[in-house]
Amino acid sequence: MIAPLATQPARLAAANLIRTGVALALLVVVVLGLTTIFGRTGERIAVQMSVNVVAVVALAVFCGNTGIVSFGHGAFMAFGAYLSGILTMPKALQRTALPELPGFLAGHELSLWLSFPIVAIAGLAFAALSGGAIARLVGASATIATLGLLIIVHSTAIGAREITRGSQTFFGVPRATDLTLALGMALIAIIVARLYRESRWGLFARAARDDEDAAIALGVQPRRTRMIAWCVSGGMATAGGALYGHMLGAFSPASFYLGLVFAQVAMMIVGGMASVSGAVAGVIAVTLLQDSVRQFEGGAMVFGIALPEVFGLTTVILGLAILLVIWARPQGLVGSFELGPGADARPLQKIRAQTAAAPSPARVQDKRLVAEGLSKSFAGVKAVTDVSFEVPTGRITGLIGPNGAGKSTLVNLLTRAYQADTGAAYMDEVDLTRVPHHQVPKHGISRSFQNLRLFRGLTAFENVLVAALAVGHDRRTAASVAIRELKAFDLSDMAAFRAENLPYGARKRLEAARALAQDPAMLLLDEPAAGMNPAETDDLADRLIEIGQTRGIGILLIDHDLKFVNRLSEWIVVMNRGSVIAQGTPEEVRQNPKVVEAYIGRGRTAQDAALSPSAPEAGTQTERIPS
Amino acid sequence: MKLKALLFTTAALTGLGSAAIADDYTIGVMSAQSGYLAPYDGPAYAGFQFCIDEMNAAGGLNGNTPVKLIVRDTRSDIAEGVKVVQEMIDEGAQFVVSSADADPTIAAAQITAADSIPTMTFAGTAPVLTQVGAHVFGSYPADNQQATVLAGYARDQGFEKVWLVKSPDSAYTLGGPEYFGEVFGVLGGAVVGESSYSLNQPDFSAIVTTIQHADDAPDLIVTWAWEPDFPAFIRALRGAGLDTQVMGGDVLDTPTVRGLGDVVAGVVHTSGGFPDEGSAYADFIKRFTAATGTEPDNNYYVNGCDIAHMIEQAVAAAGSTDPVAVSAAMAELKDGEGVMSNFTFAGTDRMPLRDVVVARITEAGEKEFVMRSSADLAILPQP
Repeated sequence: MIAPLATQPARLAAANLIRTGVALALLVVVVLGLTTIFGRTGERIAVQMSVNVVAVVALAVFCGNTGIVSFGHGAFMAFGAYLSGILTMPKALQRTALPELPGFLAGHELSLWLSFPIVAIAGLAFAALSGGAIARLVGASATIATLGLLIIVHSTAIGAREITRGSQTFFGVPRATDLTLALGMALIAIIVARLYRESRWGLFARAARDDEDAAIALGVQPRRTRMIAWCVSGGMATAGGALYGHMLGAFSPASFYLGLVFAQVAMMIVGGMASVSGAVAGVIAVTLLQDSVRQFEGGAMVFGIALPEVFGLTTVILGLAILLVIWARPQGLVGSFELGPGADARPLQKIRAQTAAAPSPARVQDKRLVAEGLSKSFAGVKAVTDVSFEVPTGRITGLIGPNGAGKSTLVNLLTRAYQADTGAAYMDEVDLTRVPHHQVPKHGISRSFQNLRLFRGLTAFENVLVAALAVGHDRRTAASVAIRELKAFDLSDMAAFRAENLPYGARKRLEAARALAQDPAMLLLDEPAAGMNPAETDDLADRLIEIGQTRGIGILLIDHDLKFVNRLSEWIVVMNRGSVIAQGTPEEVRQNPKVVEAYIGRGRTAQDAALSPSAPEAGTQTERIPS
Repeated sequence: MKLKALLFTTAALTGLGSAAIADDYTIGVMSAQSGYLAPYDGPAYAGFQFCIDEMNAAGGLNGNTPVKLIVRDTRSDIAEGVKVVQEMIDEGAQFVVSSADADPTIAAAQITAADSIPTMTFAGTAPVLTQVGAHVFGSYPADNQQATVLAGYARDQGFEKVWLVKSPDSAYTLGGPEYFGEVFGVLGGAVVGESSYSLNQPDFSAIVTTIQHADDAPDLIVTWAWEPDFPAFIRALRGAGLDTQVMGGDVLDTPTVRGLGDVVAGVVHTSGGFPDEGSAYADFIKRFTAATGTEPDNNYYVNGCDIAHMIEQAVAAAGSTDPVAVSAAMAELKDGEGVMSNFTFAGTDRMPLRDVVVARITEAGEKEFVMRSSADLAILPQP
C-alpha cells in the first residue's frame, strides 16, 4: 500500500526530520553509553569521538554531496586550530611562546564563545578564497587540488614562524574542549549538515554529482553548488579544527597533515560518505573498535589467560576492519541512504497533510525555436552542416534520421551543450548561442537525453523537484509542480524510489517529467521511447499528445521509431550525414525519395518506412555524444 | 549487545579507574609502538622497562619502592597521546614518561601540569619542550648542547667558514644547524651560506651547485638531515667532486648511514654516548643482550635505562614519591649517575646537561670515538 502522492512532500519532510533525529540519537546514545559504563575514560573517548564527528561530518558535507574526496580539510582544521589558539591564549603565555606575533593578532585572550564564531567566519572566508579554484574541478583532479591546498597550508604554517612557531610545537592553547562543548558542536554539525543536504543547494550539488551535464541542462550551476558545499564544509571544518586544537592543547603543522586527513577520510568511507549518518556511524565504529582493541595491547588477563603485549594491534585490526568493510559494503556501513525511514515507510503513511498538484501551466504564448545555418565539427569530422529549420510552439515536430545523422548533436547545439562553429539558434529574438549553457532553461527550453541521465542517487520525486527548483520556484511550489508531473507520467507510486531502482520504462518517463517540471515553452525529447515496448511507447505517445495539446508547448521529438514519430508529429525534419535533407508533413516526408533512400535504404518502399520496427538499423552504430 | 559485553569485559579486565596500590610508585609510559615515533619510542621503552625490571627485582627504586608501569601505545597520534595521559593520571600515575618528540610531550605536559606530575620525554631533544612548566624534563642531550659541543670541536679543528643545510619541516632539522651557526659565530667562525631543503627531498643537486659556486667557499658543511635526506645529500655532494668536511647531528649515528661507503668516510657527528670498553654502557649492552636476545644498536635503549636512574635518584633526593617533591628534586639533581653518561639538571632549564660524544665515521664504515665533552653553559644558545 503506497500513500497518496499528494502526501509525499509532508512524508519526505517528516522522514528527513526523523533521519536527522536518528543521526543525532546515534551519537547521543553512544556517548551516554560510554560515559555511563566507563566513567571518565568513556567521557574522554566520547570527547575525541565528538570532535571527530564534527570534522568528519564537515568533510562529508563536501565529499558526500559533490562526490569529490577531499584531502584538503586538514588545511581548514589547521587554520581553525592555530587561529583559535592565538585568539584564546593567555596574554602572558603568548608573550613567551609567540614573542614576534604580529600586533593585530596579539593579546586578545578571547573566550571560546567569542573565538568560535570568529574562527568559523574566517574559515568561511578562507574556503571562499580557496574554493574558487577547487570548485572548477571534478573527479581526481579536484582531489589532487585539495591535496595541493593541504600541502600549501602545511608549508605556510611551517614558514610562518612568527605566528605558528613553524615546525616547533605550538603550545599554551587552553584545553577547553570538554564533553559538553564537543558533543554540542557535534550535534550542531550534524544538524547543519542535514539541513544543507536536504536544502535546495544540497539537492543541486547531489544532482550535479550524479550527472553534471543533466544538472546544467536544468539550469543548475555545478561550480556554484560545489563552491557552496566547499564553503559550508570548510567553515565547519575550521570550527572542528579549533575544537581539536582546544582538545590537544599543543600541536604542530604535522598534527593536521596526511596522518589526520587519512584517518578522517577512512572514517568517512567506512561509514558511507554519501550520508550524514554514514559519517557519524563511521566515526563511532572506528572509535569503538580502536578503543576496544587498545585495551588489550599492553597485555591483559582474559579468563585467566595472560595475553602478551601486542603493540600495534590496534593499527592492524583497524586496517583489517576498513578492508573488510570496503570489501563487503563498498558504499560503507550505512550505504548511500541516510539511516532512518524513507518517505514510504509505514508509520509515515499515516501523515495526511497534502500538497495539491500545481495547476497545469497556462498555454504558452506563440514562440519559435529556430536553427539558422548551424554547423559543428569534431576533430575535422562534420557532425552537423548548415542546418536550418524551426520548431513553433503548439506543434510536435519530429526529427528523424539514421544513426550518425547528427540529431543529438543538433539538440546539444540548440541547448548550448555544444558551441556551434557557425550559425545561430534563436528562441524568438534571443540568440541562444550567446546564452550560457545553464541559462538555456530560463528561456523556456528543456530537454531529455538520448541515454538516460537521471540523478540516480535522488528519488523520483527529488529528481523532478530539482528541475522545478532550478527554474526558481520556491520549495512549496516546486513540490506541487513535481506532484503534477509525476502524476502526468504515472509515477505516483514510485515517487520515493531512487531513480536507479526504477524500471526502465519508468526512468524514461521520469526524464520527460523532469524536463516538463521546468514549465518549458519548448521541450526537446531525444529518443524518449528508445528501449520501450510497444505498449509503453503508445502510452508515452498518448501522454505527450495530451500535454502538447493542453499546454500548447512545442515539442521537438527525436526518435528512431518512425511509427511513433509519425503518430505524434505534424511536421517532420529529416537529417542525414549532418544535413537536413527534407522536411514537411509526415505524408510529404514519406513520399520524398531522398528520405526513402537515406533513411530506409534503396529498394524499399515508403510503406515499409512507416511500419519499420523501432530498433536501429543493423550494422549502424549507436549514437553517442562526442566529448 | 556483543559490543557492550566486550566493552564491559574490557573495562573489568583492565581495571579502569581503579586506584593504584599505595606502596607502588606508578609510572605512566606513553610509547608509540607504531608510526613515525616507533623507531625511537620502541628502543627507549625496551631499555626503560629492562632497567625498571632490574630495579624491581632488587626491591624497587632505591631498593624499597616497587614500580608499577602503565604502558599505553599512542600510535604516534597526538590526540591518542592526550587521551592516554589522562587515563594514566586517572589510574594514579605519579610520573609520566612521554614519547620521544616535542609535540606529544608538550601536549602531555599541559595535562600533567594541573597536578605537577613530573613528565619526562623519552628522547625529545628540542630545548623548547621544557618551557611548558617546571614539571617537564628532557633526558637526552638537547639539540643546542649537541650543536655547542660540535661547534667547539669544529673551531678547535680550525674550521672557519660553515655552510648550513637545514629543513624548516622539523624542529630538529632546523634547530640543530641554527644552534651550531650561533655558537660557531660566537667562537669566531662565520656562517657563509645557508640552504633549505624539504624532508624527503629526492634531489640535492641544486643545493650542491649553490655551495660549489659560492663566492666565499665554506670549509665545513653542517646539517642535521636524517635518512633518506642525508644519504641523498652526501651522495650528491661527493658526486659533484666536493670533498668539504661534513658534520651532523646524532641522527647520523645509525648502521645504515655508516654503511653508505666511501661517501660518508670522514663524516663527523654527535652522539649521546659511546660504549667504551669496560664502561657501564658496555656492561648494559651485555646484560640487555643476554636478557632479551636483542643487541642495542642505538643510544635510545640506554637512554631509556637512564630515565629509570633519573627517576630513582630524584625519588631518593625527594625522600618521597609526592609529584611536586619529585619534580623539585629532579630539577636540583647534580651530576647524577647514569649509564650512557651522568646528568645534571641543576642550573639548567631542565634539559639535563650531559656529555656529548663527537664521533667520526671511518673508511671501514666504523664509528670512531673522537671526543667527549659537555656544553659550555656560557655560550649555550637559548631556544
